[in-house]
Amino acid sequence: MAGILIYSEKTNLTLELVSAAKQMTSGQLYALAVNNDQQAEELSSKGLDVYSINNPGLLTADVANTAFALKQVTDRLELNTVLLSSDRRGKELAGRVAEAMNAGCLTDVKGITVENGQVNFIRNALGGATVATQTIKSPERVIAVSPRAFAPEEGTGGGSIQTMEISVLATTFKLLETRRKAGDTVDLQAAERLVIVGQGVENQGDLTTVDKVAKALSAETGCSKPVASDKKWFSEDRIIGLSGKICKPALALILGVSGQVQFTVGVREAQVIVSINNDENAFMNKIADYVLIADLHDALPELAKALA
Amino acid sequence: MNIVVAMKQIPDLQQIRIRDRKPVLDDVPFTFGNIDKNALEAAMQIKEKIDSQVIVVAVGSSELEDTAKEALAAGADEARLVIWEDGLESSQSARLIAAAIKQLDAIDLIMFGEGSGDNYSSQVGSRVAQILELPQVGYVSHIEFQGDVVRLTRSLEDCEQTVEVKLPAVVTVTSDINVVRIPSVTQILKAGRKPKESIEAEDLVTVIPVPLIETISNLAPEMQRKQIVVKTVQELVKVLADEGFGGRG
Amino acid sequence: MDFTLTKEELLIQKMARDYARQAIYPVVEKIEKDNRVPDEILEGLAELDMFGLVIPEEFGGAGAGYISYVLAMEQIARVACGPAMIISAHNLGLGAIANFGTDEQRAQFMPKAAKGEHLASFAFTEPGTGSDPKQLTTTAVRDGDHFVINGTKRFITNAGYKGPLVVFAVEAESGQPTGFIVEKFCSGYTVSKPWDKLGWHGGDLVDIYLKDVKVPVENVLGKIGDGYPILQFGIAYGKIGMNSVALGTTLAAYEEAVKYAKEKTHRGQPIAKFQAIQLQIAEIAGLYESSRWLSYRLGWLANNPKSYRDFAREAALSKFVVARNAQEAARIALDVHGSYGLMQDYDIARIYRDAAMGPQIEGVVHMQQIILAGDILKG
Repeated sequence: MAGILIYSEKTNLTLELVSAAKQMTSGQLYALAVNNDQQAEELSSKGLDVYSINNPGLLTADVANTAFALKQVTDRLELNTVLLSSDRRGKELAGRVAEAMNAGCLTDVKGITVENGQVNFIRNALGGATVATQTIKSPERVIAVSPRAFAPEEGTGGGSIQTMEISVLATTFKLLETRRKAGDTVDLQAAERLVIVGQGVENQGDLTTVDKVAKALSAETGCSKPVASDKKWFSEDRIIGLSGKICKPALALILGVSGQVQFTVGVREAQVIVSINNDENAFMNKIADYVLIADLHDALPELAKALA
Repeated sequence: MNIVVAMKQIPDLQQIRIRDRKPVLDDVPFTFGNIDKNALEAAMQIKEKIDSQVIVVAVGSSELEDTAKEALAAGADEARLVIWEDGLESSQSARLIAAAIKQLDAIDLIMFGEGSGDNYSSQVGSRVAQILELPQVGYVSHIEFQGDVVRLTRSLEDCEQTVEVKLPAVVTVTSDINVVRIPSVTQILKAGRKPKESIEAEDLVTVIPVPLIETISNLAPEMQRKQIVVKTVQELVKVLADEGFGGRG
Repeated sequence: MDFTLTKEELLIQKMARDYARQAIYPVVEKIEKDNRVPDEILEGLAELDMFGLVIPEEFGGAGAGYISYVLAMEQIARVACGPAMIISAHNLGLGAIANFGTDEQRAQFMPKAAKGEHLASFAFTEPGTGSDPKQLTTTAVRDGDHFVINGTKRFITNAGYKGPLVVFAVEAESGQPTGFIVEKFCSGYTVSKPWDKLGWHGGDLVDIYLKDVKVPVENVLGKIGDGYPILQFGIAYGKIGMNSVALGTTLAAYEEAVKYAKEKTHRGQPIAKFQAIQLQIAEIAGLYESSRWLSYRLGWLANNPKSYRDFAREAALSKFVVARNAQEAARIALDVHGSYGLMQDYDIARIYRDAAMGPQIEGVVHMQQIILAGDILKG
């Protein structure tokens, strides 16, 4: 019975893939680590059977070669399913590996169900307007799973590490430099609680009060796209929505957002949604659990005070 | 330099309506996805600096004959269209696009948006690169040429990588790479006079690849929010506390 | 009879719609407050060829024809009437030069204007008369190789922007109304502050004071005494632009009403579920569709000129129908909004004011009806 190969450059994402894989099969799982002994150790310590590639000629930034390596692994281990994370690294790799394997491929998978032995995958489609349930018809499958769609595997001990030699394609690809991104490196998608600033927050001065509210709630602060791109009140990595981050917080407190689908797709899976808006007709109010119609300039200081 | 920009024809998402949770696509006009347009804009900006021929390649229904004018209006020099009336999933599109590109001479750069406007599965660029056995760099936000080598900024969630690769290569771009310009009336009128070649998919490949993905359902999500209106900030704070989101006080 | 729009027409429509949404909508409040269209918007429109859309390519225009013109103008006016009004008046002045000018005049005045570097104006109206050439008091007196023009013009669009002005004056010797091309801001040319209008902010109506303005003899438009046919031309052709502005307003009213009806709830349902609202939406749709096809048809007639008389009649007919439909559509749309329609936060309040302009500007409704009836009942 063919098993599943799991791979991500990020260990925490690999562990999420293990949970996802276990939804699909009770069969064999193999994790791959590339030029990352620390990752190999961590994964095996969580009970995974790890294959570790150590080849300085293989750059993980070089997707062509990384896919070539993965194909060698699946061939050798006779595996027909590969699980990758649907972060940018994983997504770009998915198509190349799938083509190498002649596999059907689905990315941004946020849910997995099994019905009558068929594994179905759930993902957003049509720019976030719909949710699609799809299946892969080929025996070979590549699936890229959205970060945070599955909880990381907890597992304790009992894993193994085996090294594997692979060959590398000649290439002109060069990685000259890697720079951590400018601006803050906040992880909105990991935040349990979010306070989100929309265009209804009209005075930039009110942002200090927004901060107070966020602090009182132990929440991270995000914003709708225009507030970052047009008003430039936040850096673009704070954008929530289709062109930014899709989040699943326990609480989303949404300040002055009208509620277009490009934004709502970023919060609609939150457990509790609160909308504060001075426009009672804003669509955002319809997809909120609690709605307060108020002028944000007045309501924010009151809210900060009440929460502190 | 010969640049191919691969673009996907999609229904105009802004005009899709939902009825009984089903997307209604009848009579929705076609366009190209936004990030595909960023890719074309990037090609145009290269063309402004380096003498280039920009060829748009697209696979889809016969509507492409009209939709392609959008790309020609944006400045592409010619369009190569592969006509196939039925739907296509990524693995099929990739095969047809690669076959169309193989018919062109001396292509230096093949550009894609990082994901299509409607499905955003981000596979086709990588698949085409694999079929054509070319190096690829995805999520590119900056492109610079240095002779026959191209230097690219690959933009990942946590970092930016500066990568160099020799042409020919496949590049996928993010929407951050540029702002797509609106074509003028003159550019729009010129579009109709630019060369446009169509070929039926069955004349391009001996066997149309079968779809490897099956869609079981595609519906708008249910909206089941409580929509409870609270009258005051005090009331809001109370419901937040009840839900377990008390403040520090 | 093919009612489908070509791909080029659809792309031009989209161009205008995208530009209006991306560049103009964010500054609508500013335009309303300052009663001025920001220079960046005029530059942006120029780059898209909006000032030369109907001007032949040989004079630096895009030569796209009048259907594309109406489609594009509708989309701009849908967001803001001021820029559309500027373009309309510009095309009126430039159109007069294109139609009646000599090759030299066209070569001199059209290229820069087609690129939007200069804006054209058409100045007939005076404090004493809006339509009757016999009442003109502006005079043009021959003095050697030029004419000296004196007079006041009222409610002239683009008078504050450099460019060619087609001005009507009574030529002293013949006593006949005559058209002249004046370079705005030449010596003796001054303007008033813009009139503070009810709507169409940013499109200014300005008074012009011509004091001993010297105009070369070569700048007579047509022949001495051609004032009347040029004015007739202006009255008819200007309607294409005027219809487009009213049509854009009607479209905006329609879209706002539908949007509001779907979002506003009453007793737990969107108000769109209630019959009263449904009837109102249907009314607005009917007003929009009839305005739309009359406006597009006038554009088609301008592209396919056969009988000037037919064109003039159609222009008069469409103008009063489209302008009145706009006002009615805006009224109903405001009604759909209820009291929120009175709040300036909502676009419908501005749309309502803008809609009031059409029936009174560039030839009041009754005047159009008289022209139309005169033609129908002739002989």
